[in-house]
Amino acid sequence: MSAGAVAIDGGALPLGGGLLALLRPALDALAPGGVVALRSAQPGVRQDLPSWCRVERHEYLGCERDADGRDRHLIRRGSLGVPRATDAAPPAEADPATGFAPRGARVEPGGPPYPVTIVRRAHAAPPEARALYDQAVAAQWDARALPWERVRPLPPSLERALGQIMTFLAENELSALYVPSKFVSRLHPAYAETAMFLATQLSDEARHIDVFLRRARAGGGGLGVSSVTTSRSLLALLAIEDFTEAAFLLSVLGEGTFLDLLRFVEQEAPDELTAELVRRARADEARHVHFGVAHVRHAMASDPSLAARLEAAVRRRSASMHGIDGVPAPIQDALTILAARGDDPPSVARGHEAFRALLAEMHAGRLKRLVHAGFTSDEAERISSLHTPNFM
Amino acid sequence: MSILLGAVAYDPKVVSIWEGIRAYFREQGVDLDFALFSNYERQVDELLAGHIDIAWNTPLGHVRVRRRTEGRSRSLGMRDSDRDFHAKVIVRRDAGIRRVADLEGKTLAVGSRDSTQARILPLHFLRQEGVELSRVSLLPFDTDLGKHGDTGTSELDVLRALTEGRAQAGTVGDLIWVNEQAAGRVDSSRLEVLWTTPGFDHCMFDALPALDDGKARAFQDALFAMKWDHPQHRRLLELEGLKEWLPPREEGYASLERALDEAGGW
Repeated sequence: MSAGAVAIDGGALPLGGGLLALLRPALDALAPGGVVALRSAQPGVRQDLPSWCRVERHEYLGCERDADGRDRHLIRRGSLGVPRATDAAPPAEADPATGFAPRGARVEPGGPPYPVTIVRRAHAAPPEARALYDQAVAAQWDARALPWERVRPLPPSLERALGQIMTFLAENELSALYVPSKFVSRLHPAYAETAMFLATQLSDEARHIDVFLRRARAGGGGLGVSSVTTSRSLLALLAIEDFTEAAFLLSVLGEGTFLDLLRFVEQEAPDELTAELVRRARADEARHVHFGVAHVRHAMASDPSLAARLEAAVRRRSASMHGIDGVPAPIQDALTILAARGDDPPSVARGHEAFRALLAEMHAGRLKRLVHAGFTSDEAERISSLHTPNFM
Repeated sequence: MSILLGAVAYDPKVVSIWEGIRAYFREQGVDLDFALFSNYERQVDELLAGHIDIAWNTPLGHVRVRRRTEGRSRSLGMRDSDRDFHAKVIVRRDAGIRRVADLEGKTLAVGSRDSTQARILPLHFLRQEGVELSRVSLLPFDTDLGKHGDTGTSELDVLRALTEGRAQAGTVGDLIWVNEQAAGRVDSSRLEVLWTTPGFDHCMFDALPALDDGKARAFQDALFAMKWDHPQHRRLLELEGLKEWLPPREEGYASLERALDEAGGW
């Protein structure tokens, strides 16, 4: 954009007959004070143009006659309502008045402020957002392509255990759909890549809920129990109003722990379809965890007090779970039976050991992810041990 | 210190305008309230009776206040769009009207008889140009009398009559003419501008000479602080049809006073 000058040819167009489609963009490309020279063979423009300039607050400088007898009108661009350039890169702090204007667009001043509350890059736009969005788009899969017709009924105890596990997974994945969704509309659109990534996350969760419930029903065993422990744990997650705290509790700790859970279910899966659908879900969840860790690491890098605030959030949630000790019984029992591949006592003993090993792996995995996100090992130890017994 | 401002409710949006301005003035620490009238004659009477502090007046209302206070009323401010207003004589391209003298013998659609821009001043200026109005057949649209042309209805009626061929020429304000063209609502293959009148000024905030200086200053300070680039202000400015409030000036009303002297209408 330059103050400069530009010449345009309006032919014989009347002001109300298309001329403005040439004149307005020409003026728009100039900074205030810039001049448009408009050649015109339409006599009415001599009278209409000064009026239009008056109304639009441009300055009509007058009309000269060209050598060929055509009019040459001069208009100086006014200074009101000049669109402001916005950064092509995510701004450190976003202006709610730019609304849904795509980043990099020129924005007319005076627009209404939008009710967005997540307006700081450090808490909204990890640099990895764009690449993770691209990965997510490339990794979408169709649940209908899985070989559902090959599912055979399992022995009754195993079928029940699998139904319980799938019920638990679906219930937790529903929370993973609801929790991020409430932050999408609070995110400033200048951080659209984050909103777009969250959209893929929501779509992933929808697909997971679908396949888990289909698997529960496919063998005829049906669904299991939803426990109060799970319900209370997920409500504590849903109640979080801070985006970074929610990302930390849901994606770093919750979905992170779920990676180990899903690996366990995949390893112990009674059939190939179950192993396959859990493997696919885990690949999606790994992306969500990656994004969550990037989000928290990015936020912590610019905010030294954040680590303490996130630890406090974990403590608050832990306090809301007081009196509840241990993994919800239905899922603990189901995981044990799954790993035992049946209900004869020696196998169940092995299944129990496998379950205990899973808890240890989950703790170790959380420590690794917490350190990766930027916590000290002491902080990581405290936070991991306060994590919900519900896994998510 | 409270200020009671009068405005004429020519459209439902007038309530939104003054509710918004009232809220804005109160944020600025000015206790402004407003009273709505159905017509400018009543509003002018109530101002002169001292029942309101300030009247948001049309040019016709303004010159009447000036006349009835013998020029001692206080003018407080106007819109940028009120300055250098013009009226336009629009003609059908097929009517064979090349100059204003050609209007004689033709039908000229005109707006409400209390509309400065669509009737009073264009006819006054045409007379000054030497047009013998008794030889022009007037097609008047006397809608919304008492609103002094604020609704713009009679101007749109004029343009419609022209488009439909019920008149060969018509008079409207430049604001409507330009806005209708800019919005693509004018068939410019049929209509074109023939003539533009000299400029004149439009609306004004009028107060009695006795208005307290503190009130006047508080009102003007808050008014002139409104900015086009401010989201809350812009909404109000758009509704009221301006981009910037400007200080008052009186010279733009001389032609209207002459027109009323000549043709009556005081």
